[in-house]
Amino acid sequence: MSASHVAQLVALLRKDLRLELRTRETAVSMGLFALVAMIIFQFAIGQRADETTPFAAGIMWATIALTAVLGVGRTWVPEREQRVLDALLVAPVSRLTLLVARALALVVYLLAVEAVVVPLAVLFFVRGAEPADAPLIALVCVLADLCIAVVGAFLASMSVFSRARELLLPVLLLPSLVPVVITASGATHAVLGPARDLAEFRGYCVFLAVYALIFSLVAYATFDHVLDD
Amino acid sequence: MVLGSATAVLMAASVIGLFLVAPEDTDQGAIQRIFYFHVAIAIGSMIAFLVACVAGVLYLRRGTRVWDDVGAVSAGLGLLFSALTVVTGSIWAKGAWGTWWRWDDPRLVTYLIVILLYAAYFVLRSSAEGDRRERYSAVYAIFAFAAVPLSFYAVRVAESFIHPVVFTENGANMPGSMLIWFVVAQVGVVGLFATLLQLELLQRRAQRALDDLKLRIEALAA
Amino acid sequence: MAGVDLHLAWGGRVAVVGPNGAGKSTLLRMLATLLRPDEGTLSVAGHPLPAQARRARGLIGYLGHDPLVYLDLTAWQNLELFGALYGVPRLREAVPAALARVGLLPRAHDAVRTFSRGMAQRLGIARLTLHAPELLLLDEPYTGLDAAGGRLLDGVLADVGAGRGAVIVTHELDRALRLADEVLVMRAGRVVLRAATAGLTPDGFARTYAEVTG
Repeated sequence: MSASHVAQLVALLRKDLRLELRTRETAVSMGLFALVAMIIFQFAIGQRADETTPFAAGIMWATIALTAVLGVGRTWVPEREQRVLDALLVAPVSRLTLLVARALALVVYLLAVEAVVVPLAVLFFVRGAEPADAPLIALVCVLADLCIAVVGAFLASMSVFSRARELLLPVLLLPSLVPVVITASGATHAVLGPARDLAEFRGYCVFLAVYALIFSLVAYATFDHVLDD
Repeated sequence: MVLGSATAVLMAASVIGLFLVAPEDTDQGAIQRIFYFHVAIAIGSMIAFLVACVAGVLYLRRGTRVWDDVGAVSAGLGLLFSALTVVTGSIWAKGAWGTWWRWDDPRLVTYLIVILLYAAYFVLRSSAEGDRRERYSAVYAIFAFAAVPLSFYAVRVAESFIHPVVFTENGANMPGSMLIWFVVAQVGVVGLFATLLQLELLQRRAQRALDDLKLRIEALAA
Repeated sequence: MAGVDLHLAWGGRVAVVGPNGAGKSTLLRMLATLLRPDEGTLSVAGHPLPAQARRARGLIGYLGHDPLVYLDLTAWQNLELFGALYGVPRLREAVPAALARVGLLPRAHDAVRTFSRGMAQRLGIARLTLHAPELLLLDEPYTGLDAAGGRLLDGVLADVGAGRGAVIVTHELDRALRLADEVLVMRAGRVVLRAATAGLTPDGFARTYAEVTG
């Protein structure tokens, strides 16, 4: 008997979501962290400006990036702490499937966090947002989440075995996320900022798609060497 | 040895040439000279990272340890050159524009990100041991090299472009006499990289042979 | 590990014993495809590794001293996951059947975190046998098992007949003799003794063991 990759992927994803629903550790701490971060940004930057709209997109994405690092850091934690990782590796499941499942779970977490962060950021920092902006922002979120998830799942699997992983992962992850933060906030700013520029928006979105594609390819080419001994 | 001497000669020649012989730039004065080193070192660091990436691919395919050495040393040299790029760039910026740092200079900012990317390489390396360390280093060397152009384009797309272009479509944007010395400096920098790489690889091989010998002596004594 | 040149015949139970650090767990992990040997080749169940690792993994069941299950999922959800990973058909019937076999059906929908050590290990046994593996790889599997669990595991091992195999790492010599057809003694990464258990007595074997392991 053997399972199709899709069936395995679904099972793994279901497992992650179930674990999250049951323990609610990750999503809640990510949400609280995001909220506090935005408040800190307001006091650090926003106070000094009469008009915070120009900063809004940047604050939003800085918050999401830092929160994402927190979320990615929780990757593989149940497997590590309860030593279940062996059971997953012994099973006839392709390492690529494991990585894709992990990345998809991350996308779901990030979308959940953004569902809270984005409206709040708009509320706190943006003046003159319109409902028509929502689908555009949603697109940026989905693209950026894909980027973060691919890179996050990939790098997390290289830190799963190390002892100093709480420090290692942010150090590994954040430099690679800089392009994502730059372009995601650029795209968001193009929509929410004082001047609405759809051509600019499109350019940034294309970049995000290319980023996700390139790192997916890198991950696909090297995943064999990352999880196995 | 030949490589080393050739490199030394080239580097000396380029320093003399760029600083003494080549004509002074009317706009920016003497400080312009350091710009050519800045670009040469910048390109040198990219070559080092490319070597590290290729070494990573070769390590994953063949598994021979020498490729891990090449990758690690190249990444280290690339990191060093990147730091020098930022320093020389900063000096030049001070001379040309009066400030030590500008955020709207895409190349300089990108190198900052590049330094972080490759510093992370060494943090990753120290977090693992043995076979895993080598594999992870190889994988990350490939990953980081892919991140470099993406970082550059992200920075560039987002900010206004003010860094003067050295090579334009019509050819190098500098007088022919300067071009010669720039090329000399560039070749010198690449030679420097190759020499240092070779030296470090030799040193590692010697160290390993020494360790091997020690182990064998201990085994005999036991 | 050095110079382990092994051919384990099909359909047998092999016990691996030896002092700490002898490399028993390492050997088992290699057989379980969790570790790659630095040199040499490895084939499990006729499938050379690492090329056919996925096929080999479908035939292997691995259990360590830890039950290797998710503490925050229920017993049912755990088996559902592993059943899906192994491609076990008709999970809706297979899962309760496996739970019943290990006596955990009444607790099927409780989180494993609420289980005792013995119960969790029994769930591990359920996970192990869910996909009817042809090769069982067990690392000190009796650790933490209660009496009921111990009898259960004995039964599982006794069922290993023709066409299946089992490799058990244990530090209890008499258990090794009782459970296995063949015993391997390892020391410092090498196999120093290999013998059929049929002719061995516990005392005799204990003496031989002491001799070869120094």
